[in-house]
Amino acid sequence: MRWTKADTTQYIPEKQYIDTVIIPLIPFDPGNDQHMVKQAFQRELNQVFTNLIEKEYKGRIFLAPDYYYLEGSQADEKERINRWIHKFKEQPFHHVFLFTFDSKWKKYEGELEGHVLWVPGMGSGDIQSTETQSFVREQAHQISDLIQAYW
Amino acid sequence: MSDKKRVSRRQFLNYTLTGVGGFMAAGMLAPMVRFAIDPVLKTKEGGDFVSVASVDELTNEPQRFEWTIDQVDAWYESEVQKTAWVYRNENDEIVALSPICTHLGCTVDWASNEEYPNQFFCPCHAGRYTKDGTNVPGTPPTAPLPRFEFKVEEGMLYLGETKDSGGGV
Repeated sequence: MRWTKADTTQYIPEKQYIDTVIIPLIPFDPGNDQHMVKQAFQRELNQVFTNLIEKEYKGRIFLAPDYYYLEGSQADEKERINRWIHKFKEQPFHHVFLFTFDSKWKKYEGELEGHVLWVPGMGSGDIQSTETQSFVREQAHQISDLIQAYW
Repeated sequence: MSDKKRVSRRQFLNYTLTGVGGFMAAGMLAPMVRFAIDPVLKTKEGGDFVSVASVDELTNEPQRFEWTIDQVDAWYESEVQKTAWVYRNENDEIVALSPICTHLGCTVDWASNEEYPNQFFCPCHAGRYTKDGTNVPGTPPTAPLPRFEFKVEEGMLYLGETKDSGGGV
């Protein structure tokens, strides 16, 4: 399920079946030329990943709107994330996963009310290349296994 | 008298050159016209068929085949990946099933659950389907897996749209 009109309409009467939410955590820093390209690539990769997982498990996983934050502001952001998670849990979603390539979240995992799914990702590359595609497929498959272990 | 009916050398050349020239012009124009009105001539039955696999590859065990189609909606055109489970049944007929669970749209897998090695299994809510796509009563799905329309041409399997198999259990 996605945050679209069609999917949310389908979600509401069936919410007992859809108990898992994935929130993509995407850092960016528009003031930094050095990191801009890499961050933009990570954002694309993050969307490809989460869309792939959502497609495969549409009937049980809800893909939340992307959570954007300024790079390196984890200490300030953890409150805001927890507010998001509380809202989702009111639905009720039982499993909240935070999907990110930003390893800094690992340090704050204990203070967050969802499971951090940190994936090393790729530093750079071509989103269309077959190499990236097979990497994403393989990783997405393993992440799905991990999520299923919580069900 | 007979002289008048005779075709003169000049006339003969004129006729032949016009004839040959006309043929050549027609030969050049025909493909252009055909090309211009091509969308009109396209057959519409059941949408477009896409070549998915060679018929020789099919076995009695369902195999997963993937292909992409261009999907155009009101706002953008996108490439959509499609998947089908294809096998030959005991009467040697080809069966092409959609992998989309009729419950809430997850992707079902063949024999992925050890307890049910001869069924399609949905990982989301343990929905199950028998090999012919019929949903197993007592599991969440209420309708069988849709089947793809298909045709076989020159040893290749072409798949079209899905249609509901109807008659849920």
